[in-house]
Amino acid sequence: MERKVTLAHGDGGELAHKLIQQIFVSAFGNGNDARFDSAFLSLNSGEIAVTTDSFVVRPLFFPGGDIGKIAVSGTINDLAVAGAIPLYMTVGFIIEEGFPFADLRKIVRSLAEEAEKAGVRVVAGDTKVVEKGGADGVYINTTGVGLQRVSGAIDPSRIEAGDDIIISGTLGDHGIAILAARGELGLMTDLQSDCAPLNKMIHSVIEKGCDVKMMRDPTRGGVATTLVEIAEDFSSVLEIEEQSLPIRNEVRGACDILGFDPLYLANEGKVIMIVSHSDSEKVLDTLHRFPEGENAVVIGHVTGKGIGHLLLETPLGSKRRLHRLSGMMLPRIC
Amino acid sequence: MPEAVKVTVRGRVQGVGFRPFVYRISHEEGLAGTVQNNMDGVRIVWEGNGDAIEQALKRLRAEKPRLSRIDEVAINPAGLSGLSDFQIIDSDRSGKSELVIPVDSAVCDDCLREMRDPKNFRYRYPFINCTQCGPRYTIIEELPYDRVYTSMKGFRMCGKCAEEYNNPLNRRHHAQPIACDACGPHLTLLSPDGETLGEHEDALKGAVRTLEKGGIVAIKGIGGFHLACDAANPDAVARLRQRKGRPDKPLAIMAASVEVTQRVASLSDEEADVLQSPEAPIVLLEKKDSFSDVLPEALAPGVRTIGVMLPYAPLHHLLFDDGNYLFLVMTSANPSGLPILYQDERAVHYLNRIADQILTHNRPILHAIDDSVVRIGSHTPFFLRRSRGYVPDPISTERKVDGIAALGSQMKNTFALGRGSQIFVSPHLGDLAAVESMAHYEETLAHLTQWMGVDPRIIAIDRHPDYSTREIAERMDRQVIEVQHHHAHLVSCMEDNGLTGECLGLILDGTGYGEDGNVWGFEVLHGGASGYQRLAHLRYTPLPGGDRAVTEPWRNAAAMLISLLGEKGKGIAAQLFPNQGAALRVIERMVAMKLNAPLAGTCGRLFDAVSAMLGICKVSTYDGEAAILLSECIGSHGGKIEPYPYLVTDEKLIEIDFSPMLEQIADDRLNGLPVAQISLRFHETVAVACVRVIRKIYSRHPEFGKRVALSGGSLNNPYLAERLNEWLSASGFDVYTHHRIPCGDGGLCLGQLAVAAEMQSGK
Ligand SMILES: [Fe+3]
Ligand SMILES: [Mg+2]
Ligand SMILES: [Zn+2]
Ligand SMILES: [Zn+2]
Repeated sequence: MERKVTLAHGDGGELAHKLIQQIFVSAFGNGNDARFDSAFLSLNSGEIAVTTDSFVVRPLFFPGGDIGKIAVSGTINDLAVAGAIPLYMTVGFIIEEGFPFADLRKIVRSLAEEAEKAGVRVVAGDTKVVEKGGADGVYINTTGVGLQRVSGAIDPSRIEAGDDIIISGTLGDHGIAILAARGELGLMTDLQSDCAPLNKMIHSVIEKGCDVKMMRDPTRGGVATTLVEIAEDFSSVLEIEEQSLPIRNEVRGACDILGFDPLYLANEGKVIMIVSHSDSEKVLDTLHRFPEGENAVVIGHVTGKGIGHLLLETPLGSKRRLHRLSGMMLPRIC
Repeated sequence: MPEAVKVTVRGRVQGVGFRPFVYRISHEEGLAGTVQNNMDGVRIVWEGNGDAIEQALKRLRAEKPRLSRIDEVAINPAGLSGLSDFQIIDSDRSGKSELVIPVDSAVCDDCLREMRDPKNFRYRYPFINCTQCGPRYTIIEELPYDRVYTSMKGFRMCGKCAEEYNNPLNRRHHAQPIACDACGPHLTLLSPDGETLGEHEDALKGAVRTLEKGGIVAIKGIGGFHLACDAANPDAVARLRQRKGRPDKPLAIMAASVEVTQRVASLSDEEADVLQSPEAPIVLLEKKDSFSDVLPEALAPGVRTIGVMLPYAPLHHLLFDDGNYLFLVMTSANPSGLPILYQDERAVHYLNRIADQILTHNRPILHAIDDSVVRIGSHTPFFLRRSRGYVPDPISTERKVDGIAALGSQMKNTFALGRGSQIFVSPHLGDLAAVESMAHYEETLAHLTQWMGVDPRIIAIDRHPDYSTREIAERMDRQVIEVQHHHAHLVSCMEDNGLTGECLGLILDGTGYGEDGNVWGFEVLHGGASGYQRLAHLRYTPLPGGDRAVTEPWRNAAAMLISLLGEKGKGIAAQLFPNQGAALRVIERMVAMKLNAPLAGTCGRLFDAVSAMLGICKVSTYDGEAAILLSECIGSHGGKIEPYPYLVTDEKLIEIDFSPMLEQIADDRLNGLPVAQISLRFHETVAVACVRVIRKIYSRHPEFGKRVALSGGSLNNPYLAERLNEWLSASGFDVYTHHRIPCGDGGLCLGQLAVAAEMQSGK
């Protein structure tokens, strides 16, 4: 019979202990840290970066990843784009009663594997079990701690007209992979989610001394929403060219049917960089050495300062202003 | 015993030769005094015999110049100052700003005669004009309308021109754009790279040669650049379409004359009059059977009409005088989705890959304006686009509209400005999606507000969360009043007809944002500027992919069938759109999951869906194509047509449900019935259903009265408009339609403005 998580697994007793030992400690392999109520971490002097994120992906397993992998890459990428070196992570699980042990083990393994690959240690964890219906399978919260690399290396206040906007790869793979994996839409595609930790690739760019002024990971809301935020936060006019956007055929095809715009689809393994034009070639060269960055390209430029606008240049040569993702795509055509 | 009066004339009285006209009649009546332009209009002081003054006042109205319009004549007694002669005196720039910006006018017959007279010193001069004709709105920088405030200010009049300009008895007295080849603007022919190929006569000859050879010439006209080619040359037309990326949208043509027009289109007297009017709009004319013997069908494929205009700038006449063609394609040279091109630098930049040559001139266009488009209905002209020749003539109203700006819609945009009791509707500004269009919009708005001397305090906008006008309103930082789209259409029609109070409204439209967050566009309303209630609407169906389902009507059709007819609908969709198997399954799921599929109940989308079901237009290449082609395919008809079945609910808010009709249309289609017949029956059904619903509402609420306003973009459909008119009238309703502004979104701002004015006055 399939083993399932029960409410007793969350009551702090014997079963809970077993669950933690069998699934978590064995996966993360750093049992020593877990003997105290808190983990003790050694950090060199300097600034620390901390970030936290919760993950509620549906479905839990999809081509190219699962919720465990996303929980790691999401948090690591948030640290990395802030210019920090991710070192430690804590993980909190909220599990629905009846969740299969096997799936939980798979998720935890994948989470541990990704963390290890990224060079990040999982140092503390927590599990809670809620009644059937109180949650949908598994939710994960991760908190990441990183060391700020060189303070001032990334300085968005230096964004100026002429800077290049680089995306590390194709748009919307995650968004469409997830939609397809849900199976409800009848979308036929074996597209993989791009979900991946990007810290090594990003560090490599910074280590080269490239003049990167700003980085963001275009997750929810997609590239457009992220760029609108950058434009507004740093009062810059950003212009991207529709024709330069790297988009996989599968994503284009799905968007075509669904009426979605790839610019607004979520990515889980992409970084947007604003770099000085003179260093843009060097940044691209570096990105291209990593599988996650093989499709990196310049998609546009900073064209002005003073107001925060994102503009899209269409193939016909006209420009359209883009806004944040809005709830419903209401037709405007009369 | 001499008397003295001070007369102020308001209306379209500046830039139309009003002062020389006053000078002439004053002389003839033996009156002394002065005439002067000021910010109020024209101010006259007359001294002399009382009977003569009386007579002059009569002649003022009876003999007014060709382009003038008198709204008001105010007469006040004045003190005698013993004047001995009559004089035109300089403009007085003080005074209240109620004057009108003159409109651009087609060249007059007198000027044409001179232009063709080898003995005249303006023989073949492409910029000949007089007080009765020529550019106005497009060349005025500031008011009052005087040469120094126009784009002619850089040209110094030669002796001959100055003499005419200063001679009060000359028909060019104070003709501000007066010029001749010696002192005025001249033509230049450019290569696509901006290199000069020729000037003056050479430029004209070069362009004519290119047109004769089937080339494409961008021509700078009055309000902007046109792209022209020989309309009778199928290769040239195909090339133009291909280079402009405009596969099917009907192209307007310019015909050498009315007689030439009659070779391809039938022409009523009214249509001929409007074609030849000073406003010189594009008139939609019914093609004759012989059309295809003369011109390629590719000019206006699938439609029974052709948009025709006559030469209106002197340059146009020269192009026809010299060339061996009788028809030219004359389509505005704007890149798709962008405002009309009117500046030379930009023209060269954009036309580089489209035009073979650019025929331009050095009289700057200060304000762009598109050609107007009208259709002559059974009664009156009907605006599809109100622009050159009509804008910026104000619409007068009973309301206090001062300081209100209404920003209009997202597409086919126009805005309106209120000053005193006048409403100024802007030129057609089109689709606002592009940043360039927004910039053009804001420039035009800034110019007009400055000209009018109004600083808007209140901004009326549509409720749609994503219309660009919302962003513009935010930048203007004034009090904002939101007006529901179809409420604005209703009030627009009432205002167009001078109706006050409340009435019933049947609004058949494309898409508009509804109060419930759904897409509206098939509404029966009751109300007026102070408010409205919704009494009936079309049953909602999902629009999978939002705008995507608008540009690809087959998606909308599939979703409509699936959501209304369930399993049966899925089967029908699969049969009607056999090549869309995979996409259909996804659409089916999107409908079921309500994923990216906003709900809509609109007339435009209903027409789109039926058009797609009949295989007439599954994917649209221009705005409104599916619905237009559907109505155009109805051939001649007669006799009584049995409508398809449909349902009307009994609830307080009536729902009109055409599912039984759609099912039968699908059957008819799959059984191979002619589409023209199905389309006719479909039109009939929609009209019958509307009339039935309105009668039902009237029987419930006789207090609503029998006035019905018809508005919304679908009323551009002549068949539907005619049927509704006929049957509602037959049922005893007083039917009101549009005649001064378009029924579609081009007229929306008028309703928005009236609603905002009402809300303001109610405070
Ligand atoms: Fe509308
Ligand atoms: Mg995050
Ligand atoms: Zn004239
Ligand atoms: Zn001259």
